[in-house]
Amino acid sequence: MTRWFEDIVIDEVFQLGSHTFSADEIIRFASLYDPQYFHLDAAAAQHSHFGGLVASGWHTVSVGHRKMVDALFAEEERLRGLGKEPGVSGPSPGVNSMDFKVPVRPGDTVSYELVVTGKRMSNSIPGWGLLFNKLTATNQRGELVYRADLVGFSKLRDYQMPLRLRVLLALTRLPLIGPLLKRGS
Amino acid sequence: MTNPVTKDRRHFEDLRIGEVIDLGHVTVTRDMIITFAREFDPFPFHLDEAAAKASLLGGLASSGWQTGGLSLRMLVDSLLNKVASAGGLGFTDLKWKNPVMVGDTIGGTVTIADLRRSESHPQWGIMTLDFDVRNQREQPVLTMRLANLVDTRSPGDQA
Repeated sequence: MTRWFEDIVIDEVFQLGSHTFSADEIIRFASLYDPQYFHLDAAAAQHSHFGGLVASGWHTVSVGHRKMVDALFAEEERLRGLGKEPGVSGPSPGVNSMDFKVPVRPGDTVSYELVVTGKRMSNSIPGWGLLFNKLTATNQRGELVYRADLVGFSKLRDYQMPLRLRVLLALTRLPLIGPLLKRGS
Repeated sequence: MTNPVTKDRRHFEDLRIGEVIDLGHVTVTRDMIITFAREFDPFPFHLDEAAAKASLLGGLASSGWQTGGLSLRMLVDSLLNKVASAGGLGFTDLKWKNPVMVGDTIGGTVTIADLRRSESHPQWGIMTLDFDVRNQREQPVLTMRLANLVDTRSPGDQA
């Protein structure tokens, strides 16, 4: 969430809201990213084991990501409203697992929920932490649509760069030594 | 019961572990990045050049979900629409290794890492695929392991 790494609470649950999938948007997404007949053509999809048009899993996941981004922005607004400086969330290094369970059909409403399950400092990027999030998507009948274990970057508020790194950074700014150091790294 | 859409495609029995599929390639434009980001990933670093330069990405880059979507699209064109695919089960170990910047061309290979019959649904086999997607400088941009169902020709037989 758009909080400083230090302020993120493990096991806190965030309701990310819901989205109703129309046949048009299912087909539009599929035509660009997943043009298999059961995501693209309602008549042909009758012959599949789905028995009709279903959304690409990648589509339902992309919408889930949008819901998460909207929740981050809302949290940022909330913190500013309280006179606090919000944190900085960064790009994601990856996804540990994603399981598609029940398909999404036209007219289905999918609700998304996120839980922060763990956090640790990044080993590779100084000043940033890693968040481990579990995202679940559920349809209007309470059936699980998908479950994902996500990883995201979050910036540390109280980070003090070690002296060794500060010296190195200062050296890279010198005109002669800088290029040599950069080439060496 | 024959599926008229997929009857002439390769079925589970026709696939081999170790088979390498060439994904072809796609060039990612500024328009593609911004159109996807507006709908699914409206972080400033996917929408705005100046914000992107100041971010960890260092420039306007595609959403990781778009990079994954484009990788999936290449897989559908090169493999999934040529086999009796019955849909994806999920994936593990998706890693975004390097950002995909405006003008980058991505492509690569998918390898069939495993094939096994479903125990609960004999009409299906589970095909496990390893993605290796790279940019035009041969730098890795995405790896993941996808599990996809494929219809078997004869549910009773052993592959």
